[in-house]
Amino acid sequence: MPLTRNDVAAIADYARIALDDDELTAMCDYMNEAVDLLEPILEYELGAIEPTYHPIGGLSNVMSADEVDSDVRALSLDDALKNAGAREGRNFRVPSILGDDGGDR
Amino acid sequence: MKTLEEVLVDWEAVIGLEVHTELTTLQTKMFCNCKLSHDDEPNANVCPVCLGLPGALPVPNEEAIRSIVMAGLATNCDIMPRSMFYRKHYFYPDMAKNFQTTQGPVAFCMHGHLDLEVVGQGAAERPDASIDKKDDGSYVTPVRILRIHMEEDAAKMVHVGGKEGRIGGAAESFVDYNRCGTPLIELVTEPDLRTPEEARLFMEKLRETFLALGISDCSMEKGSMRCDGNVSLRRRGAQEFGTKTEMKNINSFKNLHDALEYEICRQAEVLEEGGVVQQETRHFEPSKRRTMVMRVKETADDYRLFPDPDLAPFDLSDEFVEECRARIPELPDAKRERYMNDLGIKSSDAALLAGTPATAALFEEAVAVTDGKHAPVIANVMVNLLPGYSCSAAQIAALAGLLAEDAITSAQAREVLELVSGSDADPVAVVDERGMRQTTDTSTLEPIVDAVLARCGEQVQQYRDGNKKVLGFLVGQCMKEAQGSGNPKLFNQLLASKLN
Amino acid sequence: MAWLDELSAGDIAAGVAAGDFSAVEVTQASLSAIDARDGEIAALIESCPELALDYARRIDERKAQGQELGCLAGVPVSFKDNMQLIGTHTTCASRMLEGYESVYTATCVQRMLDAGAIPVAKANMDEFAFGSSTETSAFHPTRNPWDTERVPGGSSGGSAVSVAAGEVTLSLGSDTGGSIRQPASFCGVVGLKPSYGAVSRYGVVAFGSSLDQVGPLGRSVSDVVLAMQALTQAGRDRLDSTSQDCQSDFCGTLNQGVAGGRVGVMRELIEAEGLSDEVRDGLKRSIATFESAGAEIVDVELEHLTSAIAAYYVIGPAEAFSNLARFDGVRYGYQEPDCETLAEQTAKSRAHGFGIEAKRRQMLGAYLLASGVYDKYYYPAQKLRTLITDDYNKAYERCDVILLPVAPTCAWKLGEITNARQMYLSDMFTISNNIAGNCGISVPVGLGSASGMPLAAQLQGPAFGDATLLRYAHALESEVGALGVAPAFFGKGGEL
Repeated sequence: MPLTRNDVAAIADYARIALDDDELTAMCDYMNEAVDLLEPILEYELGAIEPTYHPIGGLSNVMSADEVDSDVRALSLDDALKNAGAREGRNFRVPSILGDDGGDR
Repeated sequence: MKTLEEVLVDWEAVIGLEVHTELTTLQTKMFCNCKLSHDDEPNANVCPVCLGLPGALPVPNEEAIRSIVMAGLATNCDIMPRSMFYRKHYFYPDMAKNFQTTQGPVAFCMHGHLDLEVVGQGAAERPDASIDKKDDGSYVTPVRILRIHMEEDAAKMVHVGGKEGRIGGAAESFVDYNRCGTPLIELVTEPDLRTPEEARLFMEKLRETFLALGISDCSMEKGSMRCDGNVSLRRRGAQEFGTKTEMKNINSFKNLHDALEYEICRQAEVLEEGGVVQQETRHFEPSKRRTMVMRVKETADDYRLFPDPDLAPFDLSDEFVEECRARIPELPDAKRERYMNDLGIKSSDAALLAGTPATAALFEEAVAVTDGKHAPVIANVMVNLLPGYSCSAAQIAALAGLLAEDAITSAQAREVLELVSGSDADPVAVVDERGMRQTTDTSTLEPIVDAVLARCGEQVQQYRDGNKKVLGFLVGQCMKEAQGSGNPKLFNQLLASKLN
Repeated sequence: MAWLDELSAGDIAAGVAAGDFSAVEVTQASLSAIDARDGEIAALIESCPELALDYARRIDERKAQGQELGCLAGVPVSFKDNMQLIGTHTTCASRMLEGYESVYTATCVQRMLDAGAIPVAKANMDEFAFGSSTETSAFHPTRNPWDTERVPGGSSGGSAVSVAAGEVTLSLGSDTGGSIRQPASFCGVVGLKPSYGAVSRYGVVAFGSSLDQVGPLGRSVSDVVLAMQALTQAGRDRLDSTSQDCQSDFCGTLNQGVAGGRVGVMRELIEAEGLSDEVRDGLKRSIATFESAGAEIVDVELEHLTSAIAAYYVIGPAEAFSNLARFDGVRYGYQEPDCETLAEQTAKSRAHGFGIEAKRRQMLGAYLLASGVYDKYYYPAQKLRTLITDDYNKAYERCDVILLPVAPTCAWKLGEITNARQMYLSDMFTISNNIAGNCGISVPVGLGSASGMPLAAQLQGPAFGDATLLRYAHALESEVGALGVAPAFFGKGGEL
């Protein structure tokens, strides 16, 4: 079943991408075409096969020591805020959140 | 509204907890080597990783993994042979990447349990007959732990321009990423708790356990330990769960108890009036002792959870797990048992001493100073006299020694504490210098007793007529006669033997 | 007097070490070539003369002090503009990151610099690496130096062109589904996609984290080998959890030839309809070359090759959605002005900061990861990845490397392919390699008789078979001959 404009609008809302009406129509067409291209995936019987999320062979348990390396990577305040669109003192600044609590976490 | 006790006669409360604990005792963050911030200035401890800069990649902190494995072992969890980190997506600036790195269906630790011993008045909250209670009303109930998973904490946001730092109405917010990426473990219980008291006790026990492991300072006030509680009601005997509500970020044991108590009573009222409980998230207001709706959950949130491709999977070896196990110190339950069985400490004192690692350590050091003597007296000093004072193990041991020999009274012990607290003064020297030592030589005390008995014929008669309370008066007279240097316990004994 | 165009990376490092010329002189030659050439081809987003000369002076100082110089001493290098380098902007060719100042340096970049390479420029690319033609750059398209009416391929088009046009000697690109190999093939240079994990991804703006791999582009296999030496000799990068040791004596084994070795081919693929005759001829020439060099040609089968493209278009967008979620205009990046709420600011910053392809992939990814949909596409795609990897492992029991086309055709004209589907399908020979995490390389095999454009063969090898892969590539190049700097640009500036 193809994605409807409403479906696509909901995804855009979730992905925080504002789309106007024309863009929504075009996006809807694109997404349905793109999803069609994925059909081959549905043709396989993949029941017992283990997924490979990481193409890294048997690599596992990669960890780093609990040691501060402030000289190596820590950013100065200047660098930390350098590319911010808006700041206030030592902080990043964002506009009113208006009840948007980012969900349950 | 009905009281909790009234409600729980007809209704059974089904309570589950989600407990977030920051691993505050580590040096660095979960996925980078930034210093863990406690009270640093905003954005003082950030790097490309925890600021989510383009191109930055995470590497897990080994000590954090060891800590969660220890937490799992200490709560009787299975340490899973294979687990992964996942990405949980939501757009909110407190998470620098707009996803939180957390775990998926398989957490590091799964399927544990803790046994709760519910005693005293709290035990009365659970009226049902389904549980075996001892003669004193206390009972033991197991609480299953679904999982403990590893994740990262969010940044701190300050909302300004509105009312009192609340989100609603704030004109803007400031974001400080110091806390972003702090190692966080989330423990989720099965819905096995039945009373607010059980929930409170579970949190206390968990806190004591994590403190003993040394993985966190577990401060609910500072937010390094946070608790969400969910609760639903069902008629006694019913099998199906009711609709639950969730209470977020409760910041003290008392508030947890009170929020659940309020919520249980509120839900009962709704249900008894024929209403339905809404699935919603509620916020507890401690000052008004009530919960308020934060948001209604209409649909389940979809976080687009998927395995984090940047983080290699984990298949922790038996050796790794055993190394973690070897690092687990004696836990509060075992400590308490040992204090009771080996040192003869009474149950309530043993629990208090064993609950906090620093207290337990001080106690054991003091016991060591006296070569194992006077342990119950040391326990008594620490539980009943010491709070409010600061003393070394040697001072505590000396004080306990004086009490054990009846050289000073409890009241005098408090005086001595006043004098030695915070210094390195020797309690024995202080007692001697000030001539506080009680006379325990009966040959010195007997004449005093005889004199008092001779002087107070009226009271002696009253005693013999059956008014045993008058003995206290007579002891007082003896003490007065001895100018405070006589041991009241001995006076008591001498008077009693002479009067009978 | 010498021309930068004629010098290999090894020549430059040796010349600087011997005092034939200074690193500053080489850098100036590179900068003058950029001045004279980039107007026509627009390979670069930013050149950084001061930074470059600064690094060059340091090399010359080391030389003056008699200190040892690295294997890339004085070699001018461009970096794809998704790689962080302090002192430059890192834009990913997107409005979203226009003006973004790097505050740290990527490990791969740092290792090149540690080996003495001179950072002269940041190269153009498809926006956030979403594309195969470098036409989706928000700033400007890049043109193919062999025919400026044609695309250079992508997404590392700027990297390939800067090398092919002789602006720099080496470039680093990144390859998520062919983004190094395909532009290398279109521009007549060598492009290596190392095994996944061989080169650190730390500091490289992510597209598909389980697919992305950084690799070098150069005008010869031996130049690419020198870069690999520089990138891997310090061992795995502790800042990248998926990084692994890939240390090898790349230079030492390079000339050992392929006699007695085995090259796998898929005959039906070489005869497939979509392939242009030129490309097919190039492959057949390559087969003949290997045979005459003493290698055995064996038939292999990759049963799930065609399904790889579908798996790629699930895994790639899903990871891209996740990786690009961080661009919300708060900590960095385009911020929509005058928004009253955070939600509005985020949605408009992302709508106006990202180009269409970036938005499409994220939308697709957000859909594919939704609960319910995940089980239909994403989960099976990762299972297919297991099958594709198994196919390769079986094939590599029978051969050392596999010979494939890079792309079905030579470079197409700008604007010729606008259909996303067609563009996607052009990646089908390269994608499976990323899915499996294996290594692959594009090697020029002459010019097309009809088009006059560079043609290439692709060699693929198993994970961490990079040294063997390079040995085969070198054998092929030795017979066929490298193409060198595109003739129209040779000698324009770049005097040394």
